[in-house]
Amino acid sequence: MAYSDKVLDHYNHPRNVGSLDKSSPDVGTGMVGAPECGDVMKLQVKVNPETGVIEDAKFKTFGCGSAIASSSLATEWLKGKTVEQALEIKNTDIVNELSLPPVKIHCSVLAEDAIKAAIGDYKKKQTTRSSEAVAVN
Amino acid sequence: MPILSKNFYDFFGIDRRLTLDIEQLQKRFYELSRQWHPDRFSRKSAEEQSQALEATAILNDGYRTLRDPVKRAEYLLTDEGFPVGEQRSKDVPPELLEEVFELNMMLEELKGGDDSARPQLETARQHFLALRTAVDHELEALFAKYDASEPQSETAKQALHEIRGVLNRRRYIENLIRDVDRALNPAGAAHESVEGRL
Repeated sequence: MAYSDKVLDHYNHPRNVGSLDKSSPDVGTGMVGAPECGDVMKLQVKVNPETGVIEDAKFKTFGCGSAIASSSLATEWLKGKTVEQALEIKNTDIVNELSLPPVKIHCSVLAEDAIKAAIGDYKKKQTTRSSEAVAVN
Repeated sequence: MPILSKNFYDFFGIDRRLTLDIEQLQKRFYELSRQWHPDRFSRKSAEEQSQALEATAILNDGYRTLRDPVKRAEYLLTDEGFPVGEQRSKDVPPELLEEVFELNMMLEELKGGDDSARPQLETARQHFLALRTAVDHELEALFAKYDASEPQSETAKQALHEIRGVLNRRRYIENLIRDVDRALNPAGAAHESVEGRL
């Protein structure tokens, strides 16, 4: 199967591979997987709680080239966006950018799910923290 | 000429149940194999000969599918309009994803030539084998639930829905066991190119 140059570029030189401190209150972690192919994707964001801007994003994906490329691209896009802007990233944006073939669309869906899961985790941590703060007061 | 049913259950003349008596199935397989044996058709017309051939093909496919509990369930689910493998990640329990991730990290270390991960992988393998056994017990219970329900009823549909979830989880576990085996015993594993992974 032929892959677009962009997929191959991300596959051969993935951006932002690694991990952030999962226990930090400013870090949101999203872990998603696709049962049909056994792919698993971890995506993390570090958010500035004052501004709501994503300052850093890391990922680690075990799976096919398209899954790696989708999550690599996602981390590139996430940096500098606010949490709300990040939630607007759609899997179709990833499909278009990487020219993914129809059989690989689920990889982009996985990346979108991972973004949503990571941001969801961050927001959950923030609400827990603020409710704790209220409880202390 | 008799009309052949392509539905495995109908072809074998057995009830559409998920729990099957394997001995009974095997007996039916032998009976039907004799009935459709090409030798018995050598003096028959060309149409009858070709039908016997077709029947033998259905018979073999059907036997292979029905005698395996997982293949049998996948077959019945697809037949009932519950195609397997079309679920999203939210159906996979988060704990399992964590484990899959950790395991893949270990596999990567081992591939990188770091043998210290080997004992951990052996432990992981045992763990996933145990998980598969647990999943198989879960399937057995769900098979019984489906078999006890009225066909097409809400209970039947609910059972099929649950079975699909469990089958997807099982597939995940199967893949893990395969990956671990491949890492622990690379010589025995089939060659897989990088292009094939892409």
